[in-house]
Amino acid sequence: MRFAKLILKNVLRNKRRTLLTISSLVVSLFLIISLATILTEFERGSQEANPLRLMTRHSVALTFLLPIADVQRIEAIPGVRKVMPFTWFGGIYKDEKNFFGNFAVDAKKMREIYPELKMSDSEWQAFMADRQGAMVGRKLVKLYGFAPGQRITLKSPIYNKDVEFIVRGVYTGSDEKTLYFHHDYLNELAPEWARDKAGMFSALATSPDDVPRISQAVDSMFVNTDAPTKTESEREFAQSFEAMSGGVKQFLYGIMAAITFSLVLVMGNTMAMTVRERTKEVGTLKAIGFKRPTIAALFVGEAILLAIIGAAIGIGGAMLLFRSVDMSLYIPGFFVSFIPETETLLAAFVLSILVGIVSVVYSTYRVTGLTIAEALRSTE
Amino acid sequence: MALPLKYNLRNLVVRKGSTLATAFTIGLTVAVFLLVMALARGIDQTLSSSGEPLNVIVLREGSTAELNSSVTREQFNDLMYLDGVVREGDQPLATGEMITLIYKPRKGMTQGSNVTIRGVGPMSLKLHSGFQTVAGRSFQPGLTEAVVSKRIAERFQGLDVGDKFRIQTTDYTVVGLFDSGGKAFESEIWVDANSLSSTTQNPTFSSVLLRARDESALSALTKRITDDPKLHLKALSERTFYEDQQGVASGALKGLAVFISFIMAVGAGFAGMNTMYASVARRTKEIGTLRVLGFSRSSILIAFLLESVGVALIGAALGILLTLPLNFVSTGTSNWATFSEIAFNFRVTPDLMISALIFGAIIGFIGSLLPSIRASRFRIVEALRA
Repeated sequence: MRFAKLILKNVLRNKRRTLLTISSLVVSLFLIISLATILTEFERGSQEANPLRLMTRHSVALTFLLPIADVQRIEAIPGVRKVMPFTWFGGIYKDEKNFFGNFAVDAKKMREIYPELKMSDSEWQAFMADRQGAMVGRKLVKLYGFAPGQRITLKSPIYNKDVEFIVRGVYTGSDEKTLYFHHDYLNELAPEWARDKAGMFSALATSPDDVPRISQAVDSMFVNTDAPTKTESEREFAQSFEAMSGGVKQFLYGIMAAITFSLVLVMGNTMAMTVRERTKEVGTLKAIGFKRPTIAALFVGEAILLAIIGAAIGIGGAMLLFRSVDMSLYIPGFFVSFIPETETLLAAFVLSILVGIVSVVYSTYRVTGLTIAEALRSTE
Repeated sequence: MALPLKYNLRNLVVRKGSTLATAFTIGLTVAVFLLVMALARGIDQTLSSSGEPLNVIVLREGSTAELNSSVTREQFNDLMYLDGVVREGDQPLATGEMITLIYKPRKGMTQGSNVTIRGVGPMSLKLHSGFQTVAGRSFQPGLTEAVVSKRIAERFQGLDVGDKFRIQTTDYTVVGLFDSGGKAFESEIWVDANSLSSTTQNPTFSSVLLRARDESALSALTKRITDDPKLHLKALSERTFYEDQQGVASGALKGLAVFISFIMAVGAGFAGMNTMYASVARRTKEIGTLRVLGFSRSSILIAFLLESVGVALIGAALGILLTLPLNFVSTGTSNWATFSEIAFNFRVTPDLMISALIFGAIIGFIGSLLPSIRASRFRIVEALRA
């Protein structure tokens, strides 16, 4: 700490260089945090999955439907509390760009199977009482201005139907970009091929320990029928969707590695210039008795200080931006939120300091290794 | 009078560490830009090459993809005898095809994606040009046999020649692998349409393909079918159909490319500025000397700008070299519109490389503008005394 003041003075010696280096650090860290957040948001579905829930679908692919009558049979399996149909409607609101998920569910069982979706008692009652009713996530209200009582029409290319719903409740919690409506209503207007059929089943178990046994029990129950099933815990189900994107994850990691490497080059180059310019000073410091480790610590300390300032602004900026502006409203697709994880921010901080240290090691080693005479004779 | 380029070149060599670091920083920025754009380009090219210019695709009115479309066999019989459809002998060049999906794990993973299965008719091969069996043989009509695109077989488990997969309760045997010259069909498994419809107990087609006699027959046919109030179908050129699908995935990638490369460029620009300021400061005396020798302010400005743009171009070239090995590497992702796999190649095309060079040069130019102006503004006496 004795040298803190000297390090600070050194940082401020070439203000323009310090400013440029820190700026470069800030934008790179911001970018890394943004990309890492894409990754964590991508996996939010499986990370926040309810350990009590299971999803059942047709074992061949999602396009094949399951008979609704299976619901009773699954519900009879010991350890299963509630089961309901859960069908992707694929409805489009006005324009294909307005993408949000919409599912047909059993309104009476919804509250018990999805306790994380919060609505007032009166809203739940209104939703259950109206066959045409729909419950919408808070973010859909923000995006499209849906209000209770409003009639909205979704056009489903799958069912080839325009269907009108009445908003009966606005829920918060979990994925706030989805619309749920009555499966009975869907069944009423479904074409013949989809009548009394569901895309998936969502089941709630009494205990998480039962989940693996239940999933096996369900699948073996239907293995020799026309509609064999594949039942997974909600986590596995979400993971299978996340896996569909294929190499996206590795791709983003690759880009983050490239950004980090270029950051090392940028910092390394700057620190090399800084250290080399002070070769003569190193000679002077050595001449008045400072040892090599102390001088090296001055340089490393300077790099770490730069890294800390850069990280503070970059991380603070990203946090401020993503907390105050909900990017998930503007990014099309499946992102239900866009908030950097604390782990991401910590990792960015550690990364920044590591980059700072790595960038200064070589030039420090070279310059502090010179003898007093060599250093003083330097023309830098 | 302009400064000889040799002056710049020597300067770069003298400070080779710094030059290389700056060039690499710009190179990495350019490489990331190219990488993401090459993915978007790969998707675009796969889809835009998939439609034949004279093919008409017929879908159910209101459907957005073959997967959620349906055309009955009766409708197909009416469609194929419409005026303007090419005849092959006495048979119209028309086919009904059906689409379904099958979930398959990727190689080396427990999770996978949905692979598209296309049931094709006897005329399908004539309507989709470029189809080639590269291993095994083609499937026998009427049997539960399948041919799998080579790329899909390489990426997913259990789809090689001799393997079996199950649709509903029927096992299909893979008898051959095919490629289709980079078209979207390389994301698919092909089986006989009649076998598939008896397996799924669904006689309706997903789509119908017709070959129009010429351009004018094509527009007449699409209009005739779409406008028929009894049919409830829509017809469009196959080329338009595939090009319209580019939107989501490649649009998102292009957006990502712009976002990432813009921020990286800002970072690289700051770094370049730092290097140039240091270089100008170190060469103050030298600049004074050059001015004494009679070189003007503007020639010094130009010399410094040229030097950095040169470094940036070297960097951009390095970036292009870094991405070139990825050209034609096959990859795949989910088409989020239908939840099915699309396989495609990275495509580092010449026009992308030129954009990359220009992008690099712009970073170099903007990053060095202020330091170069500073260099040209030194007063001779002060510069010499520095």
